[in-house]
Amino acid sequence: MNLSYRIYHVFFRNLMSYKRFVLTTFLVSLVQPLFYLITFGIGMGAYMGAFGGRPYLFFLVPGVLISSVMMSSTFECLYGTFVKIVHEHLYDSLIATPVSAEDAVAGDIAWAAFRGLISGGLMLAVAAVMGIRPVSLLALLVLFLVMLAVGVMFASLAMIVTSKAPNFDFFTYYTELVITPMLFFSGVFFPLTNFPGWMKTVAQFLPLTHAVAISRAAFLGEYAPSLLLNVAVVAGLGIAAFVVGLRMMKKRLIK
Amino acid sequence: MSTIVSARGLTKKYGDFTAVDGIDFDIREGECFGFLGPNGAGKTTTVRMIHCVSPVTAGTLIVDGSAAGVDNRALKKKTGVVPQEITLDIDLTVYENMIVFARFFDIPKREAKARIAELLKFVELEAKRDSKIDQLSTGMKRRLLVARALLNKPRIIIADEPTTGLDPQARHLIWQRLRQLKSQGVTLILTTQYMEEAAQLCDRLVVMHQGRILKEGDPRGLIESEIGKDVVEIRTPLDQDDALVARLAPLACGHERVGDTLYFYCRDGGALWKALVDLDLPNTVHRPATLEDVFLKLTGRSLIE
Repeated sequence: MNLSYRIYHVFFRNLMSYKRFVLTTFLVSLVQPLFYLITFGIGMGAYMGAFGGRPYLFFLVPGVLISSVMMSSTFECLYGTFVKIVHEHLYDSLIATPVSAEDAVAGDIAWAAFRGLISGGLMLAVAAVMGIRPVSLLALLVLFLVMLAVGVMFASLAMIVTSKAPNFDFFTYYTELVITPMLFFSGVFFPLTNFPGWMKTVAQFLPLTHAVAISRAAFLGEYAPSLLLNVAVVAGLGIAAFVVGLRMMKKRLIK
Repeated sequence: MSTIVSARGLTKKYGDFTAVDGIDFDIREGECFGFLGPNGAGKTTTVRMIHCVSPVTAGTLIVDGSAAGVDNRALKKKTGVVPQEITLDIDLTVYENMIVFARFFDIPKREAKARIAELLKFVELEAKRDSKIDQLSTGMKRRLLVARALLNKPRIIIADEPTTGLDPQARHLIWQRLRQLKSQGVTLILTTQYMEEAAQLCDRLVVMHQGRILKEGDPRGLIESEIGKDVVEIRTPLDQDDALVARLAPLACGHERVGDTLYFYCRDGGALWKALVDLDLPNTVHRPATLEDVFLKLTGRSLIE
């Protein structure tokens, strides 16, 4: 793979264009998770009693946090990247410079992960105001690293989809058939323990399940041995998706 | 003059489709070399291979001493591209477009700032420095593309149909700037379907059709060898052809019927024109031959799709 430090140049370009949309995207990134926190956390949480000795919100926040990272980084590499390729011809002008196709794609993945980090960070801030905070400063630091890794994983998976997308409609299959169901079957809103056996098995194949497990462990500072599997899945799938995503996008860009 | 781009048997295939079919050409350092051809002739594919964004399927392509595809980053550093599509960053201002692009070439910020000021002046866009791209006219956007292509002080500039969709004023300004660059020693590689553009800019050119090179030469030489000096056009019904050809063909060096028009190509149109005046036909035109005649004669006057 032809990767270089020029990834940062591409990241910088995105940062420069982002400053115009910063406020609107902050609002958009906040609204949906905020609804989840209010409806599920406060509304439903009142009926649910304590979860492992803590209020329900302590269970919910790390889950919603990581799913908002998933959403932001996914959408950035689906719609954002597609617009840059097809409508703005940005990739065409990038690859005419010493920036390689791989640099350009990796720069966009890095950018999408950064967007995920912003969404997650905003969620953390809102939750902190509501009194729901990670157990320690170290936990907060670990959480940021987790968000970054999960962002890279979902951004890379989205790149694979984008590399084959003929139009916008194509993305609906991915968001409606993969991303949205994942939100409900990965233990974001309630523990997987009460699911029937086969559903638990299915959940193990959803990357979000593992991301949520890590996020929750980091948030509460409760590390169990089963976490090793979760970390291995996120790291393994993340690296694999990154490599495959770069290859497939290169095929689309260099003809 | 030494050769800066050299192709032998250069071929590009997309699956079963052959876009460029084993062409040979040499571009000399400091000249303006044109690729002429109708849509789909393979011009853009050829220049995309020269600036290393499209891999060569077969044959050899040497750009400035090294084979295309070996160290593309190094070759791209020496090349500036004025693309066919407007590929400006619409989220950014004019200045931001330039500064971001300068980074892609690792130009230090201080140097980039000075260079941008100089280049915006060169393409007469200083006043638009802080405008957004959608506030620019098409002509301004094309000029900005020219300025952007010059940021890295390229030795080779590839202009892929650089004046498509421009009004005459804007087109002439782009031509002047390109000629100015050539006078500074930059090698210019141009694709176009505007014959006037080719005649204005190119020292030498090739006419491409269906992935092949049909003819090579300088604009004037091509006109002389393919057409002659003059063209006489007669718009007449088809049934008069036999009589007209019998009478006029001996005075011309070639003739052709396309649609409602009979074309005679001549070395010296005077004699033929005189004969025509005697016939007293309406709807006749006598004019100097142009590159467009060469182009149409070689690639056919009927619609290519």
